[in-house]
Amino acid sequence: MTIHRPRLVSGIAVGILIAILFLAPVLYAVMLSFESPVHFLNSPMTLGKPDLGNFSAAWSQADLGPELLRTILYAVVAALGSTALGLLIAFPVARRLVRGHAALYTFLFVGVFLPLSIIPLYAEARSMGLYNNTIGYIILHVEPGMPLAVLLLVASIAVLPGEFDEVAWMEGASYLSYLWRVIVPMVRPALLIAFLYALLGVWNDIIGPVALLSSASLYPVTEGVFTFYGSNSSEWTLLAAAVVIVSLPVVALFVACQRQLNLASLTGSVKG
Amino acid sequence: MWAGLALALAVYLVFGIGPMIGNIIISFTDYTELAFAPTHVVGVANYVSMFSSQSTAFYQGIGATVVFTVAVTIGQSAFGLLLAHKLVGNSKWAAIGRLLVFVPIALGVTVVGLVWILIFDPAQGPMKSFFDLFGIHSAFLGADGWSLGIVIFVQIWQNTGFSTLVYIGGLRAIDPALYEASAMDGIGGWQRLRRITFPLLAPSVTANVMLALVGAFTTYNLIYVLTGGGSSYGTQTLGMLAFNDAFGTNAETNLGFGAAVTVALFFMTLIVATPVLLYLRGRERRLLR
Repeated sequence: MTIHRPRLVSGIAVGILIAILFLAPVLYAVMLSFESPVHFLNSPMTLGKPDLGNFSAAWSQADLGPELLRTILYAVVAALGSTALGLLIAFPVARRLVRGHAALYTFLFVGVFLPLSIIPLYAEARSMGLYNNTIGYIILHVEPGMPLAVLLLVASIAVLPGEFDEVAWMEGASYLSYLWRVIVPMVRPALLIAFLYALLGVWNDIIGPVALLSSASLYPVTEGVFTFYGSNSSEWTLLAAAVVIVSLPVVALFVACQRQLNLASLTGSVKG
Repeated sequence: MWAGLALALAVYLVFGIGPMIGNIIISFTDYTELAFAPTHVVGVANYVSMFSSQSTAFYQGIGATVVFTVAVTIGQSAFGLLLAHKLVGNSKWAAIGRLLVFVPIALGVTVVGLVWILIFDPAQGPMKSFFDLFGIHSAFLGADGWSLGIVIFVQIWQNTGFSTLVYIGGLRAIDPALYEASAMDGIGGWQRLRRITFPLLAPSVTANVMLALVGAFTTYNLIYVLTGGGSSYGTQTLGMLAFNDAFGTNAETNLGFGAAVTVALFFMTLIVATPVLLYLRGRERRLLR
């Protein structure tokens, strides 16, 4: 093996770049969370004697645990809904089983560009009884992930051979069990990206909680931590502790899932 | 099949298309949330006041939206590609790198926003110490010349991981046999990158650029956390402006104005994104031929 010196150098350069850009900010927040407020005021950039007071204070003052669980519930259920409904549109469109399938595809395509119509959505939520309740909040978050799911799934299904369809229909498999047992395993990469994209949309939504929820007992973690920031905006060490508390389980979950999230399986699903 | 299709389309119509049509209708009225106030059809009055020279908010909003979108799309797509190129491998370091790059997405918008608010704190933050070295003093997120740049940086920081992931998927899909064949032909390094990697990566580029572009146009979650549209409305993109008119700091009693801004944003997104998509698709066909 020859040593590729330029490649090694550029690899190290990118490594340092990643450490500065992605590791340092996170470490700074972790460091802050262990500092006593007094020490932070006197010398903000040094680590003093580790102080766990911030964690107990943040945990008792903010509603972090329940907020995290709620966010996971909102995001997972809504993203599953987006992906499943996307598949229910994508299959007939990709297989050209409906008249006007091309028009239908274009109709869904436009949906990718829709900005959040926050005012009508708010009015709709109020009149349909979806305002300020768990089920309503989830239902209102199903739609945004759908258009992309349809586009990704149509692209994946269109290249699958159609003979399976006929065999399955002759055997009398029901439509849903056919989708579930035959189509879903074959388009798993596209499903995964669609699900991930929808999940992140709900996970990162902070406009939704402001407009569609009024009880703090229903807030997802985005709005919960933001409210906590609003009432403790000068207590940096306390805020940092809250940040660390809500981040730990998420990062742990992500590390645990990283092997499942086989990157190679994402291939070919992004042809849109 | 028909029941499933009908259900899915109903959800799309009621919560996607419906609200957009509602927006268009509201934009021609002086609708308010106040129960006792009657709603009048005002024709194009909201659009007239939006485009009129008195409404600096709208033109400022267009400026902020364009700068934000262009910078985020290019930054995220290019930086994601660089990282994917280096992190695609199977080594332990590459795996750690992928994890670090993806963490900001998992953290969510509020945590990301707070971390950077702490770092850019004008009184105690490390960025203050850093810029002090050069004798530069700034209120950062509260300073007119700085806030938009910082917001753009943090938006790229948070979302580059997603682009990286999509690119890595695309890179791994490339048949290794092609690389081996090119090695036998004595093609390596830059040539290999240009002749094999870039063309075969074209679909990933399309997906990434489109998702970043449309995302940057329409999202304002992070801006809401970092600045709420400040300072001096410098980061008030059109999405942020529509929200602020309805729910935020400069809430107006006339919601028609905010609705008109959303309609303008939709058409702007469509007008910019469609040619970009057509170009990228054409590029794919050209390169993959």
